[in-house]
Amino acid sequence: MFHYLLKRLAFMGLTILAVSGLTFFLMNIIPGGTAELILKHTVLELEEIPTSEQIAEISSQYNLHDPLYIQFGRWLADALHGDLGSSYILKKPVTYLLLLRLPATIYLALASMTIAIALGVPLGVICAVKENKFTDYLLRIVTLVGVSMPGFWLALLLILLFSVTLKLVPVAGYGGIKYLILPAIALSMHTMAVTLRMVRTGMLEVMNQPYIAFATSKGLPPRYIIIKHALKNALLPTLTVLGLSLGYMLGGAVVIETIFAWPGVGSLLVDAITARDIPLVQGCVLTIVGIFVTINLFVDLIYTYVDPRIRYG
Amino acid sequence: MDPAQESGGLLADKAQIVETLVGVNPDMSLKPKLAESWKQLDDKTWEFKLRDNVYFHDGSKMTAEDVKFSLERANKLNTRIPSLLKLDSIEVVDPLTIKIHTSEPNYVLPAALHFAAPLGIISPKCVNNNGEITAPIGTGPFSFESYDEKTHVMSVIKNDKWWGGKVLLDKIIIKPITDPNTRALSLENGEVDFTVDVPYNEIESLNKTSGITVDKFENSRITYMYFNLKKAPFDDVKVRQAIAYGIDRKSIVKYILFGVGTPAVGIYRPDFYWTEKDLKAYDFDAQKAKDLLEEAGWSDTNGNGIVDKNGKDLEVSLITSPNRPSLPPMAEAIAGQLKEIGIGVNVEILESGVVSDRQKSGEWDAALSAISVAMVPDASYVLDGYFKSDGINNKGYANPNVDELLKDAANSKDEKERISKYKEVQKIILEEVPIIPMTYYQMVVAKKDYVKGYEFDYTSHDYTLTPETYIEK
Repeated sequence: MFHYLLKRLAFMGLTILAVSGLTFFLMNIIPGGTAELILKHTVLELEEIPTSEQIAEISSQYNLHDPLYIQFGRWLADALHGDLGSSYILKKPVTYLLLLRLPATIYLALASMTIAIALGVPLGVICAVKENKFTDYLLRIVTLVGVSMPGFWLALLLILLFSVTLKLVPVAGYGGIKYLILPAIALSMHTMAVTLRMVRTGMLEVMNQPYIAFATSKGLPPRYIIIKHALKNALLPTLTVLGLSLGYMLGGAVVIETIFAWPGVGSLLVDAITARDIPLVQGCVLTIVGIFVTINLFVDLIYTYVDPRIRYG
Repeated sequence: MDPAQESGGLLADKAQIVETLVGVNPDMSLKPKLAESWKQLDDKTWEFKLRDNVYFHDGSKMTAEDVKFSLERANKLNTRIPSLLKLDSIEVVDPLTIKIHTSEPNYVLPAALHFAAPLGIISPKCVNNNGEITAPIGTGPFSFESYDEKTHVMSVIKNDKWWGGKVLLDKIIIKPITDPNTRALSLENGEVDFTVDVPYNEIESLNKTSGITVDKFENSRITYMYFNLKKAPFDDVKVRQAIAYGIDRKSIVKYILFGVGTPAVGIYRPDFYWTEKDLKAYDFDAQKAKDLLEEAGWSDTNGNGIVDKNGKDLEVSLITSPNRPSLPPMAEAIAGQLKEIGIGVNVEILESGVVSDRQKSGEWDAALSAISVAMVPDASYVLDGYFKSDGINNKGYANPNVDELLKDAANSKDEKERISKYKEVQKIILEEVPIIPMTYYQMVVAKKDYVKGYEFDYTSHDYTLTPETYIEK
């Protein structure tokens, strides 16, 4: 187990390094000069053309003339010392900006995850128990809609219904729990639907296993069999999906953030990419990848707990 | 929160915290603001008399030293300012007089000082030891109250001692909402009282909603098509004229822009004081367009619907970027209309950085864009940049006559003569079509009916809020 963990941690480090390097080089080779775009997002309007003096000044200010590997090396050396640099556009330390935005992202992701699990798992079980009955069909249609409906569309419908018509919650903004409800529901829909489907499939598979028949013949109450025997095993594949979903959510939900004016990491990253704010892009990507691989590791470790058959050596 | 480092004019135009020395009238002529008067002493020296009785939000009186400090700071921090001001030094004559020495003759200095975003006057006291500003102190009708770095929500409160008169609103809260649909819904739900640029296709239904009014105002921005004049086919003026005739601007405004905008004739809206009013519009005329193509040697010999010359079809690319959502559909409409006169247009929608890369490489034919033509309220601002043969935005247009006129205008001390030369240039440009003005841009302002007294400032490059606005419930 210890060796396994060590190996995983080493791979995590490599993954993060590779993604950071790739992001850095991609950011620099996409068309549209870095210096020009920085200017267009600070002192110039998008349609204006910078003078060559302006470009030269920005380039020397941020050492953009150096070869890419030197620029990346410098970034990496600083990053290893915990210094992610300063944003070209916002002129604030990247760490500070991330810490400013991360809480909103975590808050939203956890709320969405809670909704997705709290609805997805029980409904999945119900579907499996009522296989091919009316309830099952109805819920499956609902999930089909949930999976296929684009997030922004669902978000706008939710606003129309709950804010504009029913006046229950505000349209957009960031603050107390009432601001959280709509974005959390909108963001959770997809994961909820996927969870429901996974749990349903998993349950149906497990319910046909001999040990369930054995438990039934022992005279155990159905509720106990479903929760204690079936669900625990049916949850395994779902766990992987949930882990990935949580990773995506923590990576920022750009569309939902934009519609609900939610100050998360996703919109920070997208704005940074548009403006070629490379230190900020690097910082965001580093954080997102870090979160992603950590969650994956945790999911794999949870496996061993949920399913004792799985052992990592 | 630093006026010197912004481009959008949040602190000056929307929050109304800082003000500039020079203001503008609706026809773009200059008017006194924080400076009461100005005059040119010699080629390179200007004298500005400051308004007495102007106080900063912290209670201290605005002096010539503060003005010198603010302008020099912006000149240093904002890389765009040096080319506008051409500043050599600023001399404080007395507490209410400054002399600005320029490194070369700069006749548009007062107009440049209107440039709202970075040239607002601040109190040196609001700059901390690192040279940063976290809470700006200006002279405007509203003073800074708070700014949330996480949500970017900002609030300003009424300045009772504003030199310009009574301020009617007690407080303004400015919330950033990126999504146009959300802006419309927030207004409908009463979370905001005032917003701009709601989705064009929803203007009508929003206007019908009780308690909400939607208005459209022209600002100083235009959408325009421009060409790579260095290579065929757009090095030929006849082909450009054919395109100008071949585009039906009226139906573009009506069907593509949902009525937001007006068909353009020249580069400038008719009500600017330097606009040449006697311009002949290229009214939509497909036949004339085809005739012009014919004259230029392009005709459809193989019957495929596209004109050709020396066996080559007239196929061009039109590039635009999605930064302004109305541009891509407009480009598609233009492509459709030009097909009718026998020009094949391939629309390419590219990010703004890619557009300029393509133009630098010379591998492009035509482009569609939008620009503010009076960021600096002077005719020279756009005319010099676009049509002088060494202009920074020039795409290969070279006319010695235009160069001469622009040079003379820049060196002329007689305002009338200056304007007449700029008007002459506008005529030539319209005739030779290095660019085709498409529409005059409009800003959509949606507000609750109880928001009253709002006056649109036509000189802003997008929109401003005004101290005359009040709420009456």
